[in-house]
Amino acid sequence: MSRFLFVPLPLTGHAHPALAVADALSVRGHDVAWCGPEAYFRPLIGPDATLFPTGTRLFRDQAGHGIAALKSMWQRYIIPMARFILPAADRAILEYRPDVVVADQYALAGPLAARQHGLPWATLATGAMELTHPLAALPQVDAWVRAQQASLGHDASDLLFSPYLVIAFTTSALTGAQAFPGHFALTGPAMLERPGAFAWDLLDPARRTVLITVGTLATSLAADFYRRAAEAIAPLAATVQAIVAGPPDLLPDPPGNVLVMPRVPMLALMPALDAVICHAGMNTVCEALAHGVPLVLAPIRHDQPVVAAQVVRAGAGIRVPFSRVSPGQLRAALITVLGDPSYRLMAAEVGDSFAAAGGAAAAAARLEGVAQGAR
Amino acid sequence: MTADDVSTDDIARALAAAIGDESLLSAGLSAATRLEGDLCLDSLDLTAVGALLRERYGTAVDLTGYVAGLDIDEIIELTVGEVAAYVNRRRAAWPQAGQGR
Repeated sequence: MSRFLFVPLPLTGHAHPALAVADALSVRGHDVAWCGPEAYFRPLIGPDATLFPTGTRLFRDQAGHGIAALKSMWQRYIIPMARFILPAADRAILEYRPDVVVADQYALAGPLAARQHGLPWATLATGAMELTHPLAALPQVDAWVRAQQASLGHDASDLLFSPYLVIAFTTSALTGAQAFPGHFALTGPAMLERPGAFAWDLLDPARRTVLITVGTLATSLAADFYRRAAEAIAPLAATVQAIVAGPPDLLPDPPGNVLVMPRVPMLALMPALDAVICHAGMNTVCEALAHGVPLVLAPIRHDQPVVAAQVVRAGAGIRVPFSRVSPGQLRAALITVLGDPSYRLMAAEVGDSFAAAGGAAAAAARLEGVAQGAR
Repeated sequence: MTADDVSTDDIARALAAAIGDESLLSAGLSAATRLEGDLCLDSLDLTAVGALLRERYGTAVDLTGYVAGLDIDEIIELTVGEVAAYVNRRRAAWPQAGQGR
């Protein structure tokens, strides 16, 4: 039995894969502890799990999109979060004495603390922003990101990629032909069901079912997108019904063929879906592809344009501009994805690659290897 | 500025054509309109815009290369007017390089 200390981030898309991998480690007889905010993680890990609390800190909403969003993500979230978590991570290592630290790619306190104590650490690459290095095309931006890391006072080596093990929740069906070093494990998604009951009798088997979500984003941006999406879906009432997974107050008075639900059991629902319209968040996209469901993608920021481009290249979806897409354009994209069977076929092909990659169990096996190597 | 110079409107038309969205033209673009902050263009859009500008204004026009040379704040603040000025600089420096329409 080995001991693994997880240093995750309290964000759905980042926390869920970590939780799934931790579950898989527990199933294999290992011990797992957490370092994160109690209020966020306790309901997810249960009352008996070991947690070293970091406290909860609110960070300001991040800016718009593109490079401005990248800048604000580093300056307002990643760097302050690293400084904020570091004391708790340090204490967790002293008290828990893990064999391996397992850190979210953007929880830089994980590698910082692991190094201080001479422990091996693994990276959980929960997003698509770093793996294929899209910033290589913008060398000065890339240098700026490195300078941000250097501001944490570490040596020149990279905090985003562990030299021991990098677990990426994707496969080459999405990343393309690029070769990765042997300590990179592309395991496919590590999926975790979300809580939420579903009234199955609401689904009309005679119509195609479409899920619409822009993730946990709950702003006027999301409301505006849901409004356009509802307008896109309304005239298709004879053949299509849609479920908007989002806060109901974001879409008051939806058309008759659009249901709005704040919580949806995504994995249970996926087999019933014919298409997903979303913001190209990595988790939602991978959940859809794992079930062979094609996508209409309206990326907003961060790694979402990268994810969208990968899905389009794989032939499993269509990309539309989040801020500008009109209801008519959105409807046309949806009709194409529903009508042309190639999208569903290619989505299933990506899904097959996920199944073959092993997901959370494969990630746990690779982490076990790091723990054994450390003895 | 000569009659031959590429204007802000020319760049706006190229942007709209490259990303297939004519609604950009009715949105009242000016020289100060930012590609990222105002038009929400991302790196994929920029690649498409770069390819179209090269086709229209010659192989000396390399928008991707130009953007790669900018620092993080210059990219965030990049405007339609700056793209027009860049295209005109390149055309002036390389008048022989395959003029487009």
